[in-house]
Amino acid sequence: MALVDDVKSLIEGALPGAAVEVIDEGGGDHLRVNVSAAQFEGMNRIDQHRLVKNAVRERSDTGELHSLTIKTSVPQ
Amino acid sequence: MTDPALKEKIEELIRENKVLLFMKGTPEAPACGNSMRAVAAIEPYGVEYAALDVLPALEPLREVTGEIADWRTFPQLYIEGQLVGGADIVEELNESGELAELLGVDRAEGQPASAKEQFKAENPQQSPPIQIER
Repeated sequence: MALVDDVKSLIEGALPGAAVEVIDEGGGDHLRVNVSAAQFEGMNRIDQHRLVKNAVRERSDTGELHSLTIKTSVPQ
Repeated sequence: MTDPALKEKIEELIRENKVLLFMKGTPEAPACGNSMRAVAAIEPYGVEYAALDVLPALEPLREVTGEIADWRTFPQLYIEGQLVGGADIVEELNESGELAELLGVDRAEGQPASAKEQFKAENPQQSPPIQIER
């Protein structure tokens, strides 16, 4: 599975119902994600990022995922 | 399994440096785009900050910061002992003006471009790289 799809499903798995958009910013291992999730309601930004980062932790620990730029939001 | 001595050393650094940046490379030569973004956000404020190059001990430092702050990627910016975030959050806080508040300074925006250079000239040793002994 391409890393883009892998990362998308890992985040969706951690945040059921979330809208997850993953963009390859270069080389397939520098990714940008936009995550909109009801679960973020009432959470501060750093905890929202923790949730997303921890979902893909195995990929970033191995270096397979080199860089992940994260943008989080709560659906309107 | 974290190394207790390393964890203690890192906790001490976080406690003792008002502004501390864990990064890949050094402020003068960042080794990663995200570390460069964090440095670029902080530098214009001209505040004194400590920078730790994580590359010599990347895996042990992932484990340690994971335990301390539940954050395993770099860069990481700590202000007054608290993790502020990685490059994305630091940039967002910079744009919203919250970073200036956290650093306890006026907004960097509007500051003449020469201010940073002038500060560097006056404080050539402001952010010596911290070495981790392994």
